[in-house]
Amino acid sequence: MKKIICLFLMFLLISSLLTACWSRKELNEIAIVTAIGIDKAKDGYLVSIQIVNPSEIAGKNATGRTEVIRFMKTGDTIFEAMRRLSTDVPRRIYVAHLRQVVFGEELAKGGIGKVLDVLSRHHEMRSDFFLTVAKGAKAYDILNVQTALEKNPATDAANTLETSEKVWAPTRPVTIDELITSIVSKGKEPILTGVHVYGNPESGSAFTNVQNVSPKTGLKIDTIGVFKSDKLIGWLNESDSKGFNYITDNIKATAVTFPCKDGKITIATTHSKTNVKGKIEKGKPKISINVTSDGNVGEVACKFDLSKPEKIKELNKKYQHSIKENIEAAIKKVQEDYQSDIFGFGEVIHRTDPKAWKHLQQNWDQEFAKLEVTVNVKAEIRRLGAITESFQKEIEE
Amino acid sequence: MKTRIPIPIKKLLQDKQDEKLKKQQNNQSGPQSQDQIQEQAQDQNQSSQAQKSINISLNLKENIDYIKKTVGNSSDIVIREFQAGQNGEIKIAVIFTDGLTNSAELQDFVLNTLMFEIRNAELDSMVFDRSNLFNLIKTHSLPVSGISDINDFQKLFLNLLSGDSILFIDGCSQAISISLRYWADRGVEEPSSQTVVRGPKDGFTETLRKNTALVRRRIKDPNLWIDTQQIGTKTQTDVAIMYLKGVANDKTVAEVQSRLNQISIDAILESGYIEELIQDETYSPFPTVYNTERPDAVAGAILEGRIAIFVDGTPFVLVVPALFVHFLQASEDYYQRADIATLIRLLRYFSFFLALLTPSLFIAVTTFHQEMLPTQLLISLASQREGVPFPALVEALMMELTFEILREAGVRLPRAVGSSISIVGALVIGQAAVEAGIISASMVIIVSLTAISSFVSPNFNMSISVRILRFLFMLLAASFGLFGIILGLIVMVLHLNSLRSFGVPYLAPFAPFILKDQKDSIIRMPHWSLFSRPRLISQKNIKREDTPSPKPSN
Repeated sequence: MKKIICLFLMFLLISSLLTACWSRKELNEIAIVTAIGIDKAKDGYLVSIQIVNPSEIAGKNATGRTEVIRFMKTGDTIFEAMRRLSTDVPRRIYVAHLRQVVFGEELAKGGIGKVLDVLSRHHEMRSDFFLTVAKGAKAYDILNVQTALEKNPATDAANTLETSEKVWAPTRPVTIDELITSIVSKGKEPILTGVHVYGNPESGSAFTNVQNVSPKTGLKIDTIGVFKSDKLIGWLNESDSKGFNYITDNIKATAVTFPCKDGKITIATTHSKTNVKGKIEKGKPKISINVTSDGNVGEVACKFDLSKPEKIKELNKKYQHSIKENIEAAIKKVQEDYQSDIFGFGEVIHRTDPKAWKHLQQNWDQEFAKLEVTVNVKAEIRRLGAITESFQKEIEE
Repeated sequence: MKTRIPIPIKKLLQDKQDEKLKKQQNNQSGPQSQDQIQEQAQDQNQSSQAQKSINISLNLKENIDYIKKTVGNSSDIVIREFQAGQNGEIKIAVIFTDGLTNSAELQDFVLNTLMFEIRNAELDSMVFDRSNLFNLIKTHSLPVSGISDINDFQKLFLNLLSGDSILFIDGCSQAISISLRYWADRGVEEPSSQTVVRGPKDGFTETLRKNTALVRRRIKDPNLWIDTQQIGTKTQTDVAIMYLKGVANDKTVAEVQSRLNQISIDAILESGYIEELIQDETYSPFPTVYNTERPDAVAGAILEGRIAIFVDGTPFVLVVPALFVHFLQASEDYYQRADIATLIRLLRYFSFFLALLTPSLFIAVTTFHQEMLPTQLLISLASQREGVPFPALVEALMMELTFEILREAGVRLPRAVGSSISIVGALVIGQAAVEAGIISASMVIIVSLTAISSFVSPNFNMSISVRILRFLFMLLAASFGLFGIILGLIVMVLHLNSLRSFGVPYLAPFAPFILKDQKDSIIRMPHWSLFSRPRLISQKNIKREDTPSPKPSN
């Protein structure tokens, strides 16, 4: 018995030497960072972080203070700047709940490769945050805007990005793994969606901004930015962005509009599947894109008789044509203006003919620019909506 | 360089040396001392036998004097001397304990018969042979069913103090013990600890005989054997083991009997005494002996081949072997339909883990693994914690402690003030602590959830072990996070695996895995498919039934 007691005491003594709880952090001792903005500074980087003020966002008795706070610091490296921020922030900076990383456009044009290291190395960072580029702005401006509907602007931006991708498809949420893979891959170039601030960024910081029904300043998710390697080289417009999503099989739902006799018709795409195939013909790479798309009639703003089957066939053709045009325009634009294979055609060629790819990959950019792409669209309209025939005819009668 | 040995180790070494020395001494003087011990034991045996073997003397007066002397003239020992026979030649004494004997019946069937009716029987011609007289009275003149002969005072006192009446006849070296026991007791009431919605509502009482009768009424099988013995040198408490011969494992029955025989204690006041004296593992938070107030639960257990231990003076009957699964089974599981019974059992297992782990998981996740929470939830939790001055562990400990105090107070309080405790508990502690910013609201939710989950357990024993372990898990969570909880769980499962209850692995039928017994462990299959008894408990007579699954006979 004595022995047991002695052993137990020893165990207790030894365990007191063990330093436990080293990673313990109480919830009110951490500063939850939801967005990081990275800009180019004179030498090094200007890092801005957006921290939520939990009691203002979720607390029962909010005091009217701001819901998010932005802090900025420069540093030779991003990590250094983040640590330097501790001189401003009273709590421990906690980045596991990061929703969004914004690169300043200037930084993006100069190359983001070096920045990505810390984002993928930091053990606290999860890989589920979205990366965006501040279109025509500094990243810290993006982090300086109050949003009205979502109390947390980073959530606002991330949710807008996700929703718009799901229903309209001109955007593309990109996570860090995806970005790094496409930077590293030779047969694919990265893209990032742009975010921009409308209105005056300075006044967007004020709380009065979100007290308006239509806030003077706010965040807007923009179109897709084209990169070559890790450098931003330009922006696609909205329709080309959609085309891009068609090609990369990223359409969950969208709307396709085309003209008819005296107005326009919009088809709501409900389902879309894209198949990209590559082949080498006489040493020349060729790509064929097969899109299968289903849609419902969304809006008929012209006199179009939907009750006849042959008319529906006509509509189908128009629908197909419109998608095809959209895709071809996007390809043409990227081939002509940017020569950057954001569609990942190189990877397709690589998969189909690895030997040929070995020769092609050296100057793939030139090859991509003159790549022959055929687009086949098989689109069908499935449902007409709650009414069959438009009452447009009767309006004029 | 001088090597420094830490003091505890030094002590250890010294202890070891001391032990060695002692052992050596023992070896030298071993045989002698053993002999001495044996001699002493023999002496003791002889002396106790000497006490036992005081036989009843022929002289009535001597006997009465001896009884008076032994019980110290206690006022509840009533001695009634009278003379029977036509000429009053037969001296008779009736001795009984007031309060334990049905004095009206004693009056009617013993005193009346012996004092009056015997006079008309013209016995005198045969009276001269005293031994004949004894048998004559016993066979002719005592219209009472429970009668036994007594030769020595040891047995006499046991019977007398158990409530039997003792009949002495002058000139006979035997006494008759007449069983007319009757004392004020609680009737059969609904059990207070294990209530059911559907099922029998009778519960055990404090009287052993009533309790065995309640089970006997349910199992009318001659193989239902009851084996009674007295334990406790002072209390002489009746302890009965009840089992179904041929179904219960003989080895287990022998083991229970041998463990009971090993008990040498002055008093058994409740079955808890027996439980602690015969259980397999004392240093374990988990119970290895099941207790219940419900006769139907005992009957069910006996039919599974388990052994019930009844202790006089308590409504709590012990059942062994008791496995982990038994503590999460309620008797109602077998009365409700199989589907809902299964669902409720699953719920019970779930709430077992909830009661065990909720506070510790909360502590671990909120202080170590915030990345595991959805952002919105994290922000919401963080906002609740704004201004709370204590770490999550202290918060949780405070609330758990408060709850334990509340629970204990609620149990001990007189009924009349019981409700005030709940008001104080719910309103003052819960509400006010949150509003004062001492405790975060989420912690109140966590503690409440834990509390209600711990009440789901059908057996109080298991919820006690969960209560103890919960605090350990909270400490582990606070120092190592989820890592600590997993570590604790591993140790707990290892410990559970090491436990045995009367030879049966505690975690059976999960470890060892017995496929057949899964039908009545986590799930409860319909009765027609509960075809066999649990394998490790009853190893003979396995078949329970042959009922086909009910189908329409078209």
